[in-house]
Amino acid sequence: MDWECCWSRDHIEADHCPYVGEGEEDLLSSQRRRIVEKCVECPRFKNDLARMKGAGYPLSDVLPYILTEFQEQKAQMGAMLSFLNSRTREIKFLREVGLVLQNSIDLDEVLSIAMTAITAGKGFGMNRAFLLMTDKERRNIRGYLGVGPRDYEEAWRTWEDISRSNFTLRQLARDFQKTKLTSEKVKFHDILQQLTVPLADQGHIFNRALRGKKPILVENALNNPDLDRGLARILGVDTFLVMPLISRNRRIGVIIADNCITHKPITLQDMQSLETFAFPVAFALERASLYERLQEEVAKQKAANLKLREQQELIVKMEKMALVGKITSSIAHSIRNPLMVIGGFARTLLKGSSADDEKRSYLESIVRETRQLEEVLSEVLDYSESLFPVTDYWDLNELVVKAMGELEGVMNGAGVACRMELAPDLPVVRIDYKQISYCLKTITTTALSAMELGGELHVESLKDGDAVLLRVTDDGKPLSETAQVALTTPFFQTQELGEGVGLSLCKSILERQGNTLTITSRPGGGNTYSIRLLTKKENI
Amino acid sequence: MAKLLVVDDEANIRLLYAAELSDEGYDVVTAGSALEAVEKLESESFDLAVIDIKLKNESGIELLQRIVKERHTVPVILCTAFSCYKDDFSAWLADGYVVKSSDLQELKDEIARVLAKRQKAAYT
Repeated sequence: MDWECCWSRDHIEADHCPYVGEGEEDLLSSQRRRIVEKCVECPRFKNDLARMKGAGYPLSDVLPYILTEFQEQKAQMGAMLSFLNSRTREIKFLREVGLVLQNSIDLDEVLSIAMTAITAGKGFGMNRAFLLMTDKERRNIRGYLGVGPRDYEEAWRTWEDISRSNFTLRQLARDFQKTKLTSEKVKFHDILQQLTVPLADQGHIFNRALRGKKPILVENALNNPDLDRGLARILGVDTFLVMPLISRNRRIGVIIADNCITHKPITLQDMQSLETFAFPVAFALERASLYERLQEEVAKQKAANLKLREQQELIVKMEKMALVGKITSSIAHSIRNPLMVIGGFARTLLKGSSADDEKRSYLESIVRETRQLEEVLSEVLDYSESLFPVTDYWDLNELVVKAMGELEGVMNGAGVACRMELAPDLPVVRIDYKQISYCLKTITTTALSAMELGGELHVESLKDGDAVLLRVTDDGKPLSETAQVALTTPFFQTQELGEGVGLSLCKSILERQGNTLTITSRPGGGNTYSIRLLTKKENI
Repeated sequence: MAKLLVVDDEANIRLLYAAELSDEGYDVVTAGSALEAVEKLESESFDLAVIDIKLKNESGIELLQRIVKERHTVPVILCTAFSCYKDDFSAWLADGYVVKSSDLQELKDEIARVLAKRQKAAYT
């Protein structure tokens, strides 16, 4: 018989069988493989079978059974193979995820891996996922991160990007952490904000999933009487999966995954895979957040230690200062008396000497040097006294008027006019009256030294929040930054300013009582010295 | 002429005070100890006393308290190397307080001020 199909021939030419495609040329010379792969499906072969039956071939009745059975077996094999392939891929992927999660203690890295795994095609291939985590107080589950496209446009772009790249899951996750994590957090902010649920709300689907320790697949969410319809509206989908994250009976959080773009059904297999994956994720998340908390505690501890050390140093310093104070006080008497006698008699002699007396200049030197020594002594004594302030509540304006009154002579001598602007009804300030007077006087004398003859000094008091501000402004040459540092550092020496403890003493007096001294200079001229005095008792 | 009693345990300082204050026209009597001061106060009358707070083993403030208790009419100016006694309540009994300095002008001003105040009080 002349058969229509080529099954009876050993070798055929390419144009004999239309089903042998490009790349399958080896089938042309292999009869056996050609029959198995092509002929059994070929309509021409089926025609030949019918013709065999007509011609009374004895096997023609049996052959169709064998053929059908063969085709069924073949289809089954194909299905199993594809199942096996997908499982192999899944195992490989889970292994990869597991490895990363095992090693990572960085919360962001864990999140990136988990969320990429759920949404990337190489992973579970869900369109979108939200992670909700239990807050520190363990009161609420809060929306923490959302990953996926917001609309079809974006989805298409993303998928195209991913299919073009040949990254492994880990690379994808790394890329995600580096470039997208922050923007994704912002992108789904509105949805995440609405996903906060109290852990006490027993009936809520999140808590139900956590209690049951099993994923829940929600279908037909908009018409489901057991479900809060708001949730479906927030997510904008009808079908989604709620996956609890539990580690050692601790409720870590919940993952919501859906196919908001493709609307592909969520299969049992999807659920099982995600479930297998949820455990290492929950564990890694817990570990990472514990590590983060540990880091916070370590930082707190470090800060506390630092503070403790500073306090200890301060105590040691104070002790030293107190000792210095005692010593200086006790030697003051023995230094001041001889100084007084030397300088005093020199003055007496100077008074009695005639203008042309050649010894007059010697006496003048003695008087000058003695005065200088006495000034140094006063400064040192003032400093040691400043270590023991006696604070009480005082009216600052009264203090200012009195202190400035005492300086009237000095200001007149310098030809400087003083303009006072004192705010009425200031709250009382808790200060050491003597010390603050000293500060104001020292600041004024410092300001005077920066001024030309005939300037104006502006002294004002005003309320400033919880504090009272006392400002002294001159119109003299602006102080350079070095000069400002020099003025407020004890015994710091610059060529213009000499050395001393004046303003630096003010600064330490004020700071010790919880107040501040700041100096600001305007390039055009003038410096402002501001003292900020606290009024609240607990701040002192 | 106002008569002053200067009490200081250092001879040189007494000498300086005597010289300077005499120059100012005061009649100056000095004492080197609290005991001597009390003796002089009991035998003579003074218009003002200048007292050092540290008098070897004695205290000028105690002397001041004694004067205030026994002789109300003598005003006292405390004179010392320490400025911290300004906060001592007992020192507030004094009519004036001067920190020791080779420039005696402050002391002289204070003496003049206290004497003028006394005089004014006596007239009214």
